[in-house]
Amino acid sequence: MKACTVCKMISSKDHCPSCGNPTSDNWSGLLIITDPEESRVAKELNIEIPGEYCLRVR
Amino acid sequence: MEDTNSTIYALKTSAGQERNVARLLARKARTIDGIGISSILVPESLKGYILVESSTKIDLRNPDLKVQHLRGVVEGSVGITFDEVKRFLKPEPIISSIQKGSIVELISGPFKGERAKVVRIDESREEVVLELIEAAVPIPVTVKADQIRIIQKEAD
Repeated sequence: MKACTVCKMISSKDHCPSCGNPTSDNWSGLLIITDPEESRVAKELNIEIPGEYCLRVR
Repeated sequence: MEDTNSTIYALKTSAGQERNVARLLARKARTIDGIGISSILVPESLKGYILVESSTKIDLRNPDLKVQHLRGVVEGSVGITFDEVKRFLKPEPIISSIQKGSIVELISGPFKGERAKVVRIDESREEVVLELIEAAVPIPVTVKADQIRIIQKEAD
């Protein structure tokens, strides 16, 4: 799995399906957002799309 | 940021199964109504635990929450505050804790297990230049900051 270097969304693609930026293999920490409307964590990180995100990417 | 009434729970999982438990719980949260889980956090620094944000009380006696490798809910008189969770959301880069002159151990790569001294730090590329202590000739080795573990901070 790879993480987008900009929005941190995790996918298996070379380019992020959400924002189109390149992805990286080097990531750590996992955050799964199931309900961005209700989640304070999602609001804190300005995440609006449900999905898997990493916490740190390089 | 007080517009949601969700609480953060710490759940105990089997060691090494944190991501699997998180993914299984997320799938249940998506498919079953009324679970109330809005996000699941698996910080790298927290082994054996995951943090779950939920609008309903997490009760593992609920058959909907039966997940393999999920061991229990951490009970406490005071819940986890959002400020405590915030520090996991923005982890500080490893490189900022490394100082020039520190003694470190390489934890991966061809020099795994070797001890070395930090000679130079490249913060923008998150790289450090090391000099192996036990090598006969001091050859500088450049590695990524996450490949080392600090043994001793800079000697006085």
